[in-house]
Amino acid sequence: MSREKQFQILVCIDGSESSYSGLRYAVRMGADHTADLTLLFVRPLDQGLGSGGLQMDIARENMLNWGHELPGMRALKRGRDMLVEMGFMEDSWKEQVVHTDVRGDKLGDNSIIYTNEDGAKITLEMMVSPSVERGILDEIEIGEYDITIIGMCSEEEMGTGKIKPSTTMAVVSQSPTPVLVARELEQEHGHFMCVDFSDKAIDAAVKDAKIAARCHCPVYLYSVAENEEELPIAQGIIAKAKAAIEDSGLQVAGDSVEIGHPVEKILEQGRKYSLIVMADTSVKGLRRFFQTSVAYEVLERAENSVMIVR
Amino acid sequence: MRGNIRQSGTPVLRGIAFFLREKKWLIFAILIGTVFYLAPTPEGLSREGHLVLVISVVAVVLFVTEPIPLPAVAFMIIVSQVLLLGRNSSDVAQSLMSDSVLFIIGSLMLAVAVVKQKLDKRLAYMIVRVSGTKTRNIAVGIAVVSGLLASVIGEHTVAAMMLPVALTLITLTSDDPKKVRNLAAVLLFSIAYGSSIAGIGTPSGGARNAIMVGYWKEFFYDPNDPNTAKFLVDYVKWVIVSYPVFLAQLPFVIIILFSTFKPEYKHLTRAVVKLRSQIEIEGPMQPSHFLTIGLFFITLLGWIFFSGTIGLGMIALMGGTAFMIFGLVRWEDLNSGVNWGVVWLYAAAISLGIEMKDTGAAMWLADSFLKVLPEFMETGTPLLAAISILTTLVTNTMSNGAAVAVLGPITLNLAHSTGASELVVGFVTAISSAFAYLTVIGTPACTIVYASGYLKTTDFLKVGYKMVIMSTIILLIFAALYWPMIGL
Repeated sequence: MSREKQFQILVCIDGSESSYSGLRYAVRMGADHTADLTLLFVRPLDQGLGSGGLQMDIARENMLNWGHELPGMRALKRGRDMLVEMGFMEDSWKEQVVHTDVRGDKLGDNSIIYTNEDGAKITLEMMVSPSVERGILDEIEIGEYDITIIGMCSEEEMGTGKIKPSTTMAVVSQSPTPVLVARELEQEHGHFMCVDFSDKAIDAAVKDAKIAARCHCPVYLYSVAENEEELPIAQGIIAKAKAAIEDSGLQVAGDSVEIGHPVEKILEQGRKYSLIVMADTSVKGLRRFFQTSVAYEVLERAENSVMIVR
Repeated sequence: MRGNIRQSGTPVLRGIAFFLREKKWLIFAILIGTVFYLAPTPEGLSREGHLVLVISVVAVVLFVTEPIPLPAVAFMIIVSQVLLLGRNSSDVAQSLMSDSVLFIIGSLMLAVAVVKQKLDKRLAYMIVRVSGTKTRNIAVGIAVVSGLLASVIGEHTVAAMMLPVALTLITLTSDDPKKVRNLAAVLLFSIAYGSSIAGIGTPSGGARNAIMVGYWKEFFYDPNDPNTAKFLVDYVKWVIVSYPVFLAQLPFVIIILFSTFKPEYKHLTRAVVKLRSQIEIEGPMQPSHFLTIGLFFITLLGWIFFSGTIGLGMIALMGGTAFMIFGLVRWEDLNSGVNWGVVWLYAAAISLGIEMKDTGAAMWLADSFLKVLPEFMETGTPLLAAISILTTLVTNTMSNGAAVAVLGPITLNLAHSTGASELVVGFVTAISSAFAYLTVIGTPACTIVYASGYLKTTDFLKVGYKMVIMSTIILLIFAALYWPMIGL
């Protein structure tokens, strides 16, 4: 049975509560199985020096021989159990185990693919990669995902397999598709879409409205003028974004424009919402060494979840 | 909103940016190396010594930050010795292979061979039979068994064998990691720290010990001078000096662990009963188990009685080879279980250490270190405390073997400059290199138990600083009171 290409969601699972809150949001986005989910845990290749020259595989094999699971598999299975509890997946789904040999790592890549009779697919994937960042970016590229969700775990939570904030930032800056950085993601408060003065921001607003519609989340448009003179421009861009969203058959729940410092204003207003959404009109490449952008500063400083839309 | 600049876009620029991002520490290392290279040679340091320091600084930055595969760092050191120092390539090649390096190869082969025999279930059975079901007694049992084993065989071997034992007890107590957080921390750190403190007990306990034994012989032993025979430190002499330091630390490890992490369960009755029945299913010990124990025991006897004459490394190699001859392990298993790049890394670090000594770079660094020390720390126990602290700081950022390979020549020259005993300073350096309790990468045992997924990086800091203080104090007490009594 052939199916149209489903909306593809990649959720990076690292065992942190933030990553599971991201998973819950993914379930909402893919309600009624309108999206395929991939839960990814990336295990970096060992250099061997840390374990004194004895390959970590030896210790891992020993753990497996005793019937213990690797930390990544435990984290992924907890994700799968959550999907079952939420009714997104049933025990009756078909299960297929896929193993891929990886040079330099005996355990290699391992996936469990669950499919239901309508072809909806959930994949648990434990991948080996030279680095966690490289693994996630490779998966984004291979899997042609529409959105990637990564949990931003706190310093206190850091442990085996947890994704470091620097890794998250690197993925956000290099991913070709939207990335949602989940920080204890609450679902009920809507998307706070920040629109700047670039053309990309209008496209991003439409894209966000489509993503928000998947989970029935209201979208609020917001723009900041740095002074009185910029106010009409900000109001104009909001009107333009609103029209573009409505032309797509979607709704805007509210909009507002303020005068002030963009980063500070967005952080202040954005904390009331589930998500702060920003377009990636950021500096890239060599320029990032010298300049930063509003989006990345908000991403670094926000206390709630942030999505960078491309 | 301003501050948004359009993407630069071109693939070439993005490629360069990606390279810069991925390799920023490599670029930093090259830059810092270039700056050091171009800087005028400091007073009292030869040009050759200056160049050795340039190589050392670049290597240390690369060891710590790991922007390139670590074996590549080893090869950079080797190539630099030929290109920068103008050494003959055959001489450099010869300097890479010493008894210390053979010991590292042999002990890694033994490690793989022993872990493959699955003796861990027997060990688990022994622990729970003796310790009963009290959490405290089980933790003591794990720490003691880990310690006794790690004092004669690499701590990575012990950690790899004991990890499933602790995990079984943890998971049989509760499936929910949150309910057994402290219990997991106590049991896992009992393995890691029990092994770490024991690794100093005998020369075969870790690569760092073999490296220090090699440095004493290389730097100070002169076959024509009978007075230098004391620098040929054999197995028994090392044990007499260091084993009591390990034993003295053992009870404090348990006290520190239980005061830092208060386990949720005082008894593990359910877990122990289940574990016992799991192990009993295995049946009696197999002939291969007896053969493994026998071969290892013979290797141990070889170290005790013959390491002074034929070397630790040769005996370790013989032990590893015997396991292959008796069919207990295949070469393919050894080949895939040992990270040979690490052997290259140790070989290159030892070779660089010898260059540091030969070119006077180590002496210059030792004198410079002495100049920054307050006057009261220039002799006696305060000097040993300074060396211990320096080694502890370095070993927490890189493997303890690499730390001794890099620091050994400096601290031994420091002893020479201050009139302190080279043996005492060498022991303090080697023993302090085991105080890598603060970070996951500090010791192999820490890295392995961290892989279980039950520990956080902050746990190492939370308990590690107490361990550092305890170990340093005990070491200094032994250096001040016990070692003079045994004529060191």
